[in-house]
Amino acid sequence: MADLIDREPAATILVRPVFAAPEQHRRPSRGTVAWRLLRKLPPTALIGGVVILFWIICAATVQFWGLPDPLALAGKRLQEPSAAHWLGTDALARDVLSRTLYGARFSVPIAIAVVAAAVAIGSLLGAIAGYVGGWIDGLVMRAVDVTVSFPPILLAMTVSAALGPGLVNASIAMVIVWWPIYARLMRAQVLEVREREHVEAAVAGGAGSFRVLTKHIMPLCWTPTLVNATMDFGAVVLLAASLSFIGLGATPPSPEWGSMISEGASKFYNWWIAFGPGMAILSVVLACSFLGDGLRDLLDTKER
Amino acid sequence: MFQQRLTARMSRRHVPALLTASALAFAAFTPMVFAQDSDTLVIARSMDVNSLDPARAFCDTCQIYLSSTYETLVTLAPDNQSLVPSLAASWDINPETTEFTFHLNPKAVFADGSPVEAKDVKWSFERLLNLKGSPSFLLDGMTSVEAVDAKTVKVTVTGPDSEFVNKISATYAAIINSDVAIEHGAVADASAATADTSENWFLENSAGSGPFTLAGYTPESELRFARNEAYYGTKSPFSTVVITQVQDAVSQAQALESGAVDIAMQIDPDTAASMSTTDVTTEVVPSFNFVYVAFSPGAATAEGVLTPEVREALALAIDYDGMLDFTVGGNGVKQSSPIPNGFPGTAGLPEPKQDIAKAKELLAAAGHPDGFTLSAVYPNDNVYGVDLNLMMQKVQQDWAAIGVTIDLQPQTYPVWRDQLTGDGIPVTAVYYAPDYYGSGQYVAYFAMTAGTPWAGRAGGKTPETVVNPAEANLYAKALASTGEASAAFYNQIGLEMIKDKIIIPLVSPNLVLAYKSDLAGVRYSACCNLPINEITRK
Repeated sequence: MADLIDREPAATILVRPVFAAPEQHRRPSRGTVAWRLLRKLPPTALIGGVVILFWIICAATVQFWGLPDPLALAGKRLQEPSAAHWLGTDALARDVLSRTLYGARFSVPIAIAVVAAAVAIGSLLGAIAGYVGGWIDGLVMRAVDVTVSFPPILLAMTVSAALGPGLVNASIAMVIVWWPIYARLMRAQVLEVREREHVEAAVAGGAGSFRVLTKHIMPLCWTPTLVNATMDFGAVVLLAASLSFIGLGATPPSPEWGSMISEGASKFYNWWIAFGPGMAILSVVLACSFLGDGLRDLLDTKER
Repeated sequence: MFQQRLTARMSRRHVPALLTASALAFAAFTPMVFAQDSDTLVIARSMDVNSLDPARAFCDTCQIYLSSTYETLVTLAPDNQSLVPSLAASWDINPETTEFTFHLNPKAVFADGSPVEAKDVKWSFERLLNLKGSPSFLLDGMTSVEAVDAKTVKVTVTGPDSEFVNKISATYAAIINSDVAIEHGAVADASAATADTSENWFLENSAGSGPFTLAGYTPESELRFARNEAYYGTKSPFSTVVITQVQDAVSQAQALESGAVDIAMQIDPDTAASMSTTDVTTEVVPSFNFVYVAFSPGAATAEGVLTPEVREALALAIDYDGMLDFTVGGNGVKQSSPIPNGFPGTAGLPEPKQDIAKAKELLAAAGHPDGFTLSAVYPNDNVYGVDLNLMMQKVQQDWAAIGVTIDLQPQTYPVWRDQLTGDGIPVTAVYYAPDYYGSGQYVAYFAMTAGTPWAGRAGGKTPETVVNPAEANLYAKALASTGEASAAFYNQIGLEMIKDKIIIPLVSPNLVLAYKSDLAGVRYSACCNLPINEITRK
């Protein structure tokens, strides 16, 4: 038994019979599982997924789409949407559509980086806190309490203002805002999973703390984190845009969505300047919300 | 409100997400709270009040406030050039322009009914000088002010100053009811800078002879005046005037269109052109305000790159016509030197022109054939209808054409100011508005003469590298002469300042006066911004 536990991840053990299965019941491939899960997703979640995929592809490949240079003049300033400029031109005669699509190159990587960093830091600290307990738990969770006691935008603004404007600094600020959420989520899961029998078995079998935590506990704790991370992707896009809107994020002339909306707000009657980036943010936030809800319905057994 | 919008990130359902994103996309605006009332005049403004004490205040809104609640000895006529009597019914100047005698209007009374006397003028001037506040520079060089009799006051200055009377037309040289102010902690003698404790009292009270009195001030909200019933001149038809805080041009335009306000003061030409209401009058008038790019070769991070040749190349690379179009939609004019168009000595100064080929040549000769990179730090503000962020992006594009890269760093005003007065900023962008009609204020602020604010900023630790001795000599001559002769010297100073290539004026934006069509008498004043007492309802 000890051998088996040590060789196989705990997550697999739970879904597999202990004894070898007959040939015809071979475990389906990962691709097949993914496809089955995908088919079970509600349509709204699928739409959300497609929209997010679009923006990720856009961020990766927009420079090959043959769009006008987002920083260069493209005719007259403040032109209304037309066949030549689908979303018109801004106060510096730049093509708004091109700037909106190029904007994905700022927002999408930032959102991925911030969520990934927040998940990594938060989950690691949360897992350690939950598993080890004692004063380490107290220390980590008090740090979490202090961080979440500030309104997110206020904390992000304070950190950004202290570090100076710029997307890197804004990203650091957002990671500081976000990691506690994942620390709490992971800690709660670890506290629950560590009491399960297979963990006790692993401990009894002589597995070290690190191995027990990483191989037998954490693999079972990712569902809430995954759902939350999906939704937070949109929230990070929104917060990054907000910081840029108030001048603490992207510096000009970057076609970042928040700073474009800020430019559009001062030219309110030329509605198209803010329309493109506004719709972009709307689509990402909504898509993440749809996808996150869908994933939760699918993965979270407690809600069924 | 903005914060609420953002904290919605904790909500996990679609509707809040949708609302949040839409709200950000269409940037919501502060609702207006004022109703239109024929007896009340409501003005929308983004207020920049630093103080309501005449000797401490220094802001555009302060000009409106001070010219409404106080009076100066002389004031600027509607032509924005000639001086006309105000508290002083007449004045005499000695031929050397070192002694100025003012004869006070015998009818003039303060709001409490007491007469305006020479002792009040003496006390107000001494306090302005001794308080060492932002506007104290107006009286630099004043050696004495004496009350010859109750209605005559004589001011003596150190050297000839043909602009002295112009300077005291600035609203900050307001005459204060000294008895009342002294009672509330105001001090005028040499100890004023430390002993005066009246600043808070001035935030709640006025002590002037103007057509209005202060009825209340709530920072970031409103500044309220009540008609001075004891006013000895023509009384305003408005019993109450409210300047209400409305942050941006679009919100101001919407407040005006909805009838919530009577006058909107900071609407940019693009927004004015988009307004559709018929009962709003918009006038676009030339202003004396301007926005400029400034170089500080002595800034710590400039690393010796901004030599005179490089500065000239950068100035030549700017597309001045395009700048006018992109910043104010063509609603402005180019300005040659740091002295605004229309001020003495500006006639005939050469207009700035773009010459990319020559700029490249100069840059190559200066050892930068492939250009260089510099950072530009500037306040992230929208002033006089010009969005400094947009303007600097245009500058960035223009300089990219000669291979010069600038890294744009918009900052909040206080952060920017700290950097400017600290290590210095190699390239910055700022704005300036006049305090009175006269070219001297620009020489005192922008000339490369030891001791001026910009010589200090541009030179950093090595001010001698930027000082242009010709300017100090010419300024002394300009002050010692009058009329055409004085203007000729200012013209030469203008040429010298153009040669310095430290201050590069980009645009002198036109001013949009937008007001309800039932108002008359709304005009722009170079000293007082908006003379409220001239406004009536038709």
